[in-house]
Amino acid sequence: MVFLDIEMQGNVVVPPDQLDSKGLLLRKGIILRLLEDIAGRKASKEHGYYIAVTTLNSVAEGRVQELTGSVGFPVSFRCITLKPCKGEILVGIVDKVLRHGIFLKSGPIENIFLSEKKMQDYKFIMTEDPSFVNDKQQSKMEYGSRVRFKVLGIKWMEWDRGFQMLATLAGDFLGPI
Amino acid sequence: MSADEDENAAELKIGEEFLKAKCLMNCEVALILDRRLEQLQQMSDDPTNQMSQVFEKSHQYVKRFSRYKNQDAVKQVREILSRNKLAEFELCVLGNLCPETVEEAIAMVPSLKMEDDHMLLDMDPLTNMVQLSSSECSC
Repeated sequence: MVFLDIEMQGNVVVPPDQLDSKGLLLRKGIILRLLEDIAGRKASKEHGYYIAVTTLNSVAEGRVQELTGSVGFPVSFRCITLKPCKGEILVGIVDKVLRHGIFLKSGPIENIFLSEKKMQDYKFIMTEDPSFVNDKQQSKMEYGSRVRFKVLGIKWMEWDRGFQMLATLAGDFLGPI
Repeated sequence: MSADEDENAAELKIGEEFLKAKCLMNCEVALILDRRLEQLQQMSDDPTNQMSQVFEKSHQYVKRFSRYKNQDAVKQVREILSRNKLAEFELCVLGNLCPETVEEAIAMVPSLKMEDDHMLLDMDPLTNMVQLSSSECSC
């Protein structure tokens, strides 16, 4: 999974009660608002998941919004983002093992499904801790195992503000590690 | 399942912004997020308020999967990998997954196959990295 450090433009709205006459506190207020906004935004289809703001490059002149009295400041900043790509190799942790496949989590991405059809040579073993075991009994995937997989497909879910992924183990060097 | 039609990381068709943007390896992100956490704890009395789920999960992830804990090691890794003609994206995938052989590296980053005259060069930096990671690694 590759993290990107991108430059972004945004608009930070500061409500009137936070506007202080002292310039220094204003900057801090803007930064805090920006951090809150980004944390709230979580992710977008275009950029992926917003992880953290790294630097605030510039703050332009504020414009007062007439109805509310808040001031909007156009800002330019750098942010770390994470967007999964089709065909990428990722590492995930097994979260749930079901008969028809495994659910994995990888960093902020929580909806990764590895279908049992996409893991050749692995059979479902129903025990107290269900798992998928290799034919040759050499490797096993159970709750908490680390698995290296390839991204088969990605879907952006607007209602969840997150990505859903389909995984596959078809390829060299993929599987539990 | 819909994904961008032509997008395929295997062939490095990953969209303009990925090729142009600065890519960060897990270990670099871990250092940045550690520093951010310290800042947040200093800045406000209630640090748990500021940390979003995404931040928390990403932080856990990069800490667990970063091979190199030391800032100097991280710089060295980036320097070693940059000696080859790799796209930033390829460089980070290699830095993250730490393949031990050339075959594994090509499986991880299939677009490397296209630059086969650089394969001979790739072996040395990879072995250096494996040595670095085994001395630094605490995963």
